[in-house]
Amino acid sequence: MEPMMAAIYATLLIAFVLDLLGHQRFAVRSLFISLALCILLFLWEIYSPVYGFRMPWLQVEVAPLSAPFAG
Amino acid sequence: MSEIKHIVTLTASALNGMFLLAMLLALAIVLTTAMVLQYGFGEIPCPLCLLQRFAMFGCCFGLIKQLHSDSESGTGISLIFSSLLLVISARQTLLDIVPRPGHEYVGTAIFGIHMPVWSIFIALALLIGLAVRLTLFGGLRSAPAVESHLIRRSAQGLAIYVVFICAVNFLSVIVQCGVDQCHTSEYRLLH
Repeated sequence: MEPMMAAIYATLLIAFVLDLLGHQRFAVRSLFISLALCILLFLWEIYSPVYGFRMPWLQVEVAPLSAPFAG
Repeated sequence: MSEIKHIVTLTASALNGMFLLAMLLALAIVLTTAMVLQYGFGEIPCPLCLLQRFAMFGCCFGLIKQLHSDSESGTGISLIFSSLLLVISARQTLLDIVPRPGHEYVGTAIFGIHMPVWSIFIALALLIGLAVRLTLFGGLRSAPAVESHLIRRSAQGLAIYVVFICAVNFLSVIVQCGVDQCHTSEYRLLH
């Protein structure tokens, strides 16, 4: 079960409202719960069953050694 | 001598407040622009775009907290969420940088630059801005508390506006995603 975007925004909104009402400690707790949910959803979104977290379409190649570094 | 010190402290306090207020205002404008593009031009945000908005709201939370206190915890929160914004936007840029079916940039470009790339610039600007603020007003002693009545009132008004657009975004997410995975093709609850 993936984290829900709605839960992330709900906890964020709760944090803002608690902060406005003066409950700073609970507001920060709610904010960090939303942060944890956000990180989980981010990792879930970028994970691919085929590639994992890799991005094989970004190709790099070894630069040919020029004379000063060729040994 | 003590009067001069008091004037310097008041000036530093006002500058500190204006600096934080300017950063909060800039973020509120960016978030409002994103909402105008969504509702006015029919651009449905992708999941990573919504997470970037979330990171910007987190930065706003830190800035609002910083405006109302003389500790630096608000700046710390903003730094955490700016870093999160940078990570998410950089990853999305790397995901979409090579055109592949189903992996194009979502939405139209603004001044030739797509939203994830703009988010990288915004995150870098936030990190630099917060670092500059800490350099100017931080240090061993805590930053001077914002004492100006005008700045306090402006900060309060802007904070209420940010909470309002956060509430609008929450409702929008419910309409777009329901309580499930988000898609950029449609508003789930409208179909």
